[in-house]
Amino acid sequence: MASIEFSSVGKVFNRAGIDFVTLDGVDLSVAEKEFVAIVGPSGCGKTTCLRMAAGFEFPTLGTVKVNYRDVTAPGPDRAVVFQQFALFPWKTVAQNIELGLRNKGVPKVERQERVKNAIALMSLQGYESAYPHQLSGGMQQRVAIARAYVLEPEVLLMDEPFGALDAQTRVSMQEELVRLARVNPRTVLFITHAVEEAVYLADRVAIMTKRPGRIKEIIDIKSVRLAEKWDEHERIEDVMDLESFVHLRTHIWRSLREEKGSQVH
Amino acid sequence: MTNNRRLIVGFATLAVIAAIWYVMTEATGWISPGRFPTPLDTWDALSQVTFGEYANGALYEHAFHSVKLVLLGFMVAAGIGVPLGLLMGWNSKAEALINPIFLLIRPIPPLAWIPLAILWLGLGDAAKVMVIWFAAFVPSVVNSYTGVKAIDPAVIEAVRMLGTPRWRFIREVMIPAALPMIFTGLRLSLQASWTTLVAAELVGALYGLGRVLNVAQQDIYPGMILVGMISVAILGWATTMILGQVEQRSLRWMQVRG
Repeated sequence: MASIEFSSVGKVFNRAGIDFVTLDGVDLSVAEKEFVAIVGPSGCGKTTCLRMAAGFEFPTLGTVKVNYRDVTAPGPDRAVVFQQFALFPWKTVAQNIELGLRNKGVPKVERQERVKNAIALMSLQGYESAYPHQLSGGMQQRVAIARAYVLEPEVLLMDEPFGALDAQTRVSMQEELVRLARVNPRTVLFITHAVEEAVYLADRVAIMTKRPGRIKEIIDIKSVRLAEKWDEHERIEDVMDLESFVHLRTHIWRSLREEKGSQVH
Repeated sequence: MTNNRRLIVGFATLAVIAAIWYVMTEATGWISPGRFPTPLDTWDALSQVTFGEYANGALYEHAFHSVKLVLLGFMVAAGIGVPLGLLMGWNSKAEALINPIFLLIRPIPPLAWIPLAILWLGLGDAAKVMVIWFAAFVPSVVNSYTGVKAIDPAVIEAVRMLGTPRWRFIREVMIPAALPMIFTGLRLSLQASWTTLVAAELVGALYGLGRVLNVAQQDIYPGMILVGMISVAILGWATTMILGQVEQRSLRWMQVRG
């Protein structure tokens, strides 16, 4: 059962009278509760894919469906986590997380309960009444993830969510997200340019070609992860040391390098 | 520097200036009293206008009159200007409609409206309120507009993704996001209001601090001129202070540190 479905998606941008073909025939489907990461050279249109699933942009050709319905506008059933967090600086952590529930008309008692759970889930206890600018980048992104999770969305769209974080924070957020995916699995489309991150987090990794972007190859990670028992390792560095991990990572790296190598500069 | 030390240094500076003033005028007569008043002249002028009358009224009457006109003009300008600026920032149709009118009016210095205002509305209060309105209106509109335009596009996308209804977006996102710029505009509007008021009263008025300045100039009365100038300065400072307090309260989230 496919939660997100890209069928022959093409996208043409017009900049100053010149057409740029960004996407050319993207086919990709993400099953329910599946975590799919898209990697690709910069400018290949991977973020455009996510933005079309979110309803911020629309395909020139082909269709983008979420739960068998054409995407026509943004909505809380497709929660987005942005690279630059996009929190409301004048609202407290709790108010930031609560807004989506208020918009949905969730009654106050239930709202407070769900906000409390989301705060606990992202280990934000004690920061309920802090403002975003008082928090570190990693904490701010936790708030943004909590704001998305609290909606219990059908799909989660994450656009390089850890791209703006320092290396250490990034690693702990990756571990956190893996834990979260086990406790509360969701359909996730995750955009990144970090190959290790994709292999560590995703069930499948889709590799895109350089512009005009297509899906070049889809690598199944989940079967390897289960067979090689990655989940028995608590820490990311232990997983990254496993031969099976190194093998997948190298494979994806090679594939990406081919794309970069053939890029015209 | 601590606040206390700042205060001490501030007072010391004022004391030095007062001392120089005294030496240059009263003590040595290097500056003739016909050009700049001595401290004693100024004091006499102050007590005359405070306890007696000058230019049709006592100081508090002139001050009250001026403050009333400034606040009236400022509030009408801000009350129309801020919502208009927000609307223009939010709605591109409104922007396209209003911007040309605005570009036409904007280059006209507010003081150039004074003759027309007097012609239309006479020497009374209405003409002054109109001129203040013209002066205070522009910064309120421009800064509110810029405040909305400067909202992070990702924040707008987050708002849409969360399914935020329009009125809630305006109240809880657009206005708070633009508020720092709105206050910048209000501060400029208030300054413009004072500048314009004094100018308008200089040209023609029955009461007000500008009137005091005008009459004192005709009477060649430097002490009274200085009293008028200082009164305007103090009132301008006080109204700006009050606005600053409102700003701090409204933007409390920005001050929270930790």
